[in-house]
Amino acid sequence: MDEAKLKKILGDINAPAPDENAKKSAVNLAVAEFKTVENQRKNAPQGISLFGRLTSKTTQTRRDPMQQKSKQRLMYGGMATAMAVVLIVGVTAQQTMIKNNEFVAQSMLATTNVDAAATAMESLADVNEAAPQEMEREEALPSAAPAPLPTPMDAPVASLTVTEQAAQVGNYATTARAKIATPGFAGAGADASRMMMAESMPYAPPPGVVVPLPEPINPYYQEEGRDKFQDFKPSPVKLVADEPVSTFSIDVDTASYSLVRRELNNGIIPNPDAVRIEELVNYFDYNYALPETRETPFKPTVTVTNSPWSKDKKLVHIGIKGFDIQTDQKPHSNLVFLVDVSGSMDSPDKLPLVKSSLKMLLDTLQPDDTVALTVYAGSAGTVLEPTKVSDKQTILNAIDNLNAGGSTAGAAGIEEAYRLAEKHFDKEGVNRVIVATDGDFNVGVSSDTDLKTIIEKKRESGIFLSVLGFGLGNLNDSLMQTLAQNGNGTAAYIDTINEARKVLVEEASSTLFPIAKDVKIQVEFNPELVQEYCLIGYETRALNREDFNNDKIDAGDIGAGHTVTAIYEITPAGATPSIDPSRYAEKKEAAQPKSEFAGEIGFLKMRYKLPKENESKLITTPISADANAAPNSDVTWATAVAGFGQILKGDTHIGNFTYDDVIKMANEAKGTDEFGQRAEFINMVRNAKASAPH
Amino acid sequence: MSKNEDRELIKRAQSGDAGAFEALANQYYETMFKMAYKFCGNRPDAEDITQESCIRLARGLHSFKGDSAFTSWLYRLVINTGKDWYKSNNRHPKSDDGLETVQVSAKGEDQLYAKQVIAAVYELPEGERDALLLVMSEGLSHKEAGQILGCKESTISWRIHEARKKLGALFEKEQKYG
Repeated sequence: MDEAKLKKILGDINAPAPDENAKKSAVNLAVAEFKTVENQRKNAPQGISLFGRLTSKTTQTRRDPMQQKSKQRLMYGGMATAMAVVLIVGVTAQQTMIKNNEFVAQSMLATTNVDAAATAMESLADVNEAAPQEMEREEALPSAAPAPLPTPMDAPVASLTVTEQAAQVGNYATTARAKIATPGFAGAGADASRMMMAESMPYAPPPGVVVPLPEPINPYYQEEGRDKFQDFKPSPVKLVADEPVSTFSIDVDTASYSLVRRELNNGIIPNPDAVRIEELVNYFDYNYALPETRETPFKPTVTVTNSPWSKDKKLVHIGIKGFDIQTDQKPHSNLVFLVDVSGSMDSPDKLPLVKSSLKMLLDTLQPDDTVALTVYAGSAGTVLEPTKVSDKQTILNAIDNLNAGGSTAGAAGIEEAYRLAEKHFDKEGVNRVIVATDGDFNVGVSSDTDLKTIIEKKRESGIFLSVLGFGLGNLNDSLMQTLAQNGNGTAAYIDTINEARKVLVEEASSTLFPIAKDVKIQVEFNPELVQEYCLIGYETRALNREDFNNDKIDAGDIGAGHTVTAIYEITPAGATPSIDPSRYAEKKEAAQPKSEFAGEIGFLKMRYKLPKENESKLITTPISADANAAPNSDVTWATAVAGFGQILKGDTHIGNFTYDDVIKMANEAKGTDEFGQRAEFINMVRNAKASAPH
Repeated sequence: MSKNEDRELIKRAQSGDAGAFEALANQYYETMFKMAYKFCGNRPDAEDITQESCIRLARGLHSFKGDSAFTSWLYRLVINTGKDWYKSNNRHPKSDDGLETVQVSAKGEDQLYAKQVIAAVYELPEGERDALLLVMSEGLSHKEAGQILGCKESTISWRIHEARKKLGALFEKEQKYG
């Protein structure tokens, strides 16, 4: 190829100007590292011998195998004096090898950042040349690696000191950064922003506290198609005769709804695996009956209606509403924010939105609640030790100073966050870790199962977990679900400032204060009245029949004021079944309904634990066949949403039900719609209709 | 800032002056970022690699002896960091999502052609790609490129010859008949 042309094309690669924030954080990290290295160098003996000389591997051409070979030849072949040198080098090298091996093993077992692993690998590879530098290297390594992960079981003392060291480095970096970062809003700007906040938000910040306005999100480049979802199939129709009992865990997550809305607003039909029908239904607030006393945290409301999409079938709605906590009765909260500040978070709908969201949440807290802030990127570190909310400005400054850059070592961050929460554990209050991430944990323990193990271990400490997902394109939804489902937690997906307000302000009490945990539902259908049933949604939450009574099995949690809805589609006895009867099965005589249970379609059982208890309690209620009084608007609304979810997933049970039917039903059931969420849903259905393949 | 002042800054940083190091890092961040960007072709990766390079610079600056230009030394640092970064992240710079975003100043049809050529360059074997980028894009001599990549001048010449042959096979024909 023509050299001039090639030169022109390649010379033309137009590297964009670097991002100022990325630059700042990189430089600050480097300066912190420089100071650490310098301190060690000062303390290290210098120039004692030929081998003590400080040389760096970076100046050596270690990538060329031919050169390495020639060096070896020089070393091993030669005169007797050379042999002596070789012997010494050989011995040191062997020791190095052992040490480094240990180190590598350690760093593989524990979570370290990329660099530590890379350095360790290099040391192994370079062992022949590296002997002279070893003294320096050995000392430099521990601080370069962000501490082998402290596991609570082994060596708690040692790991603590190392983590503290890491925390110090973290602090250091932030203080250094704080110097450069310009202070947020001040003076007149602050007044203006305060007034605007007061108008636009139900919870206005107290006077004297500066809350920068959330900025509108401008268009920008987005990654596409790297989102990860757990795949699942819609639950099949089941014969009551074969399997009369259905068991599942409740799910109050709403992440799927915001994800679906975001995709549809962009004119894209979402990945079917991203549509979890129960999360769509539970996104909305319903006015189900509250329990009479606070002894029981919630009460089921059961309604039976005709199925709008199948002529002969019926829908059984099970609605639950947890009691709400009055503002003055809110328990003390000990919150640890864990913010992902890796490079991937550097886009307008991620880190800046996280900051605005956290500030909103801060406004809903009581003055003596405590908040701590940890971050994770290349390494994990504490930015803000637990601080009382009354010292709001300190917290706001810490939030404002967050910058994105580096890769994501989520597991180390989670360990650190739990450590902080444990340190200030409040027996009477609510202890919660709130993770804000795009879910891309690419360093250290990153497989879903390994993280699950960590989380499960931490769950027993009584600390709750909330996962807030941000951004799209690189979102690891499946990991977020794993975290939330296994860590006594909930997951929400935040795509706009409005969504942040819904999750963190309007629903602050349900997001923050659990009233029951490990809530499981089991329904046994009466074979005399019901032939078949099918649970709509909850596929990822299905439990085995025996799990219901096993208190060790984790299940979903309900927060103050949460509503949960589950919908079954049933085929009543006598209607045309979906499943043909078995030819060879023993034909039973059509027995007359036993008088005792004549009016019961089924029996509903719910098991739950109070937040601080480990013994389950039981709520039971029969589902009566004539519970189909006039369906109220809440039930119709939930049905419309469930129908929409099924169409969107391409579910085959839904028959000829179309987006238009959904819109019609939804319009009828819209109700007062205080926050405009139901209107937004209807709009979303229209978007789906427009984007659907014809 | 002149070369001499840079040398002065490097010396002060090498003797342990954190302020000088900070100035140096600020000064060369852009250079390193641009190198990293050329190496990987997309911003997020380039930022990660540059951050990592800055940290390695902090650890390894004292080993810079001044026997080559500081920028050449930096090149090697960034390229090696990039290699390690991709190795440990189990990825490769040529992944599709990266190349879509490469920015070139050419417009229209030329731009399309340029992007295709660049995509092909990223598909080349590592050694050939690096040699080509250093010589053609950064305008270094074969000798300098050899120093940075740790091989002989003649090896660089050979790699560039090979790379051009491969690219020629891909693009010359289309140009003649198209």
